[in-house]
Amino acid sequence: MDGNSRRAQFLRGAKAGIPIVMGFFPVAISYAIIARQAGMNTAQIGLMSLSVFAGASQIMAAGMWQQGAGILAIIVATFLLNLRHVIMSTCVFERMEASGRAPRLIAAYWVTDESFAVFTTGTRREDLTVWFFLGLGLITYLAWLVGSVLGALLSNFLPELLSASLGVALYALFIALLIPGLQGNGRLFALALLTAVCNSLLGLVMAASWALILSTLLCAFLGVFFVDLGEEAEHEQ
Amino acid sequence: MSNKTALLLFLGMTLVTYIPRMLPVLLLGRFQLGRRTEKFLRLIPYTAMSALVFPGVFSVDPARPWIGLAGVLVSALLSLKKCPAVLCVLAGVATVFWLLLI
Repeated sequence: MDGNSRRAQFLRGAKAGIPIVMGFFPVAISYAIIARQAGMNTAQIGLMSLSVFAGASQIMAAGMWQQGAGILAIIVATFLLNLRHVIMSTCVFERMEASGRAPRLIAAYWVTDESFAVFTTGTRREDLTVWFFLGLGLITYLAWLVGSVLGALLSNFLPELLSASLGVALYALFIALLIPGLQGNGRLFALALLTAVCNSLLGLVMAASWALILSTLLCAFLGVFFVDLGEEAEHEQ
Repeated sequence: MSNKTALLLFLGMTLVTYIPRMLPVLLLGRFQLGRRTEKFLRLIPYTAMSALVFPGVFSVDPARPWIGLAGVLVSALLSLKKCPAVLCVLAGVATVFWLLLI
């Protein structure tokens, strides 16, 4: 088999998604528990994951519904929470090798914080293709679906200690992806620290979803003036 | 939740989630990006990921914010040692499990 056929890229993408799969299970289970408390049945819990595919929004929606919010309010809140995906999707598709529009429109459905993180850090140049991203997206989508349904069925039996410790999984994943890129670049490390502080401070005065968007954009803008991404990245295009 | 309400809600949420994800597919390539814009886009993964971790990681156990931090520190150390991401995640989870236990 050709080492860089579409199929090979797809399979490498799926393999790169395995750490995300492990991170998604605990989040899917927490979502299922909250959705169950909000009065959703197993089919509804699964259908929401199948159609929406956005962890934080689904958890927020279930929470808002339980507190008596109307569906319009939930939809508006979801939109605000997911505006950040414009940024992430832009980064993903800007890096991706040119390809047909149809596969990219499918790939767009699977852009999450996590697939963005894996795709934009450390993916080899020959893997920056839509086929790699489709493999990555599909495996994470399946994990989210399976995790939600399993969570809905098993939520009453999972030991609390285990689900509490699994809560760190996604953070550990983001850090594991972030650190290698910062290694040997002090200014980039400083920029990451600055963003962490900036996001924490902004979070005190506004909703967390706005703080995330604002600190991500503001700090990347500042970084343009003082961070050096190195020869290779500068001359890549 | 009635099935009709659920379907309406899911339809609306799907639309407002998909639109931000697909807009760049339609818009990118229509205009040439400048060098500065490109650098800005390349920096976003670093700032976004840092913002995704902090301050959220402190609420893994809200009563003891250092527990989540210890978990990601272990993950960071292993990632510096070139461990695969799966191992880093597992080690982070194991650290938090152990800290919650004691």
